[in-house]
Amino acid sequence: MAGKKITVVISQAPGKNPVKRHLEEEIATQLILSGTAEVSVVPHLYDLTAEHTGMLWLKSLRGDLVVLGWLYPRAIRWVLDRNGVKGKEGESLLNLSEEEHEEDDETPPELAAEIDSSRKGIGALNVPNRTLFAIDLRNDPDPKTYVKEIERLSQVMTVPLVQIGGIGGIPLRTSAPASPPSGVAGASSVNGASSANGATPLNWAAHTNGATNGSTNGAANLSGAAHADGESTAAKANEGLHIIPGDDIRRRWYPVIDYSRCTNCMECIDFCLFGVYGVDLLDRILVEQEDNCKKGCPACSRVCPANAIVFPEHKTPAIAGAEGGVVEDFKIDLSKLFGAPSALEMAVLERDVELVADGRNAVGVSVGVPKRQSSNSPAPRDDLDDLMDDLDNLDI
Amino acid sequence: MTLPKRLCLWCVVMLDSLVFMMGKFEARFPVDRAYFESHLWGQQAGDLLRVGLTSYAVRLLQDVYFLDWQIDPDTPVRRKQAIGEIESSKAMSTLYAPADGRIVRFNEALLNDPSLINADNYEQGWLYEFVTTSPLLSPEDYLKVLDAGWDQTQRMLKNQFNE
Repeated sequence: MAGKKITVVISQAPGKNPVKRHLEEEIATQLILSGTAEVSVVPHLYDLTAEHTGMLWLKSLRGDLVVLGWLYPRAIRWVLDRNGVKGKEGESLLNLSEEEHEEDDETPPELAAEIDSSRKGIGALNVPNRTLFAIDLRNDPDPKTYVKEIERLSQVMTVPLVQIGGIGGIPLRTSAPASPPSGVAGASSVNGASSANGATPLNWAAHTNGATNGSTNGAANLSGAAHADGESTAAKANEGLHIIPGDDIRRRWYPVIDYSRCTNCMECIDFCLFGVYGVDLLDRILVEQEDNCKKGCPACSRVCPANAIVFPEHKTPAIAGAEGGVVEDFKIDLSKLFGAPSALEMAVLERDVELVADGRNAVGVSVGVPKRQSSNSPAPRDDLDDLMDDLDNLDI
Repeated sequence: MTLPKRLCLWCVVMLDSLVFMMGKFEARFPVDRAYFESHLWGQQAGDLLRVGLTSYAVRLLQDVYFLDWQIDPDTPVRRKQAIGEIESSKAMSTLYAPADGRIVRFNEALLNDPSLINADNYEQGWLYEFVTTSPLLSPEDYLKVLDAGWDQTQRMLKNQFNE
């Protein structure tokens, strides 16, 4: 007897990395075969524009969501939030580091979905009453890890109801997989393929072949399926599988605000001289002109006192949305010894580089940099003084 | 003059290099070149300044296995601008331009075999050729920087393990 299926979204990695594609396909296949989830495949979340079919599709999804992507979970969550795909923060065991894992063993998974209330951000607005789990696909190359976790989440999040529909205990299946069939639920245990598939055959090959003209071979081919012969790029609705292709996707670069940390201090809007930030009707900071953002420039994230600005594609984990620093193999970071500028120095440098590239004048620290230490007495010369002098001496 | 035990600076002028003790390790610094505070050496080679990592840096890095530049050759740079990444089995770092100037070309040999940095950091393992008008430090002044910063460096590294 099948339980209510959880909705899973797989956000594909940008580019055509075969290893990543394979992982995505394996996870999708296993989830569908085991009847655990309704699976949607969309392009890379960060590169979707608000009007892209993929984003519109995501906004239409109801109920608890598990979103798998090639980004840090924080980045996934807030990219979705800025596009109106919101939910309560769900904690997945996969996102915990080794040490955290031990501490959390006593916490029942259901209760692990509490937002850390010590962060004093202004918070997201209009959060619907459903839970959103964000999982980073770079955690583990083994699809089983994700499938197991999703099965666990599916059991945890399912509310067992008395079954009221179906034939012989098998739930009726609808052809539109927009949301899990309502009113049809069973015990929370999600059984394997046999009973869930009683009424309709869940044959991956049959689906991809049947739904697309002259499509690929029997193997699951998420990238080829929808546009095998260059026809329409409309999504193909298969049994429990919904694919939205991303041929029209361009790489983008823009900041993402983590409202659980953002205190609305407005330093970013003061600092960015390219007009990326704005305020909404409630006077809350938002990213208004994201395409004004200079590709590769992470300067504003360095001046944010709450570390609330995320550039998901930046190579430094802290800027890309990692929770608390790098968790993998521990390495000592020699950057401070090898001449690293302070965060502020770096931000000022990066901003000047973009200004000059734009044909404007470098401004150094003279604009949009808060005077945080005006009450301090003068100190001996330091690197920032050198920077100021270097900038003044530049012939621009 | 007696040296207090904790002072690690031995200004021993060996034939061609100065020595600084990093714990028990004898780090050597040839006197035929100048130095940057950020643990790079600079040696004039024609019109260009050839730049590489000092033994101090290499000792901290240990076996380098990855080196990546994020700018193209023949590019102007600003002091402290990020120009690349280096990684070893025990450590990693972003690499920063030591001064305002122009990076003319990178050592191609390293891109195939970064371990040259460990094998021969003062000759074959050079990093890039550079043009700058900024002054460098003499070997003696560089050693003073090492000495002044040694305690703090050790503390910084130890703190990283505790974070």
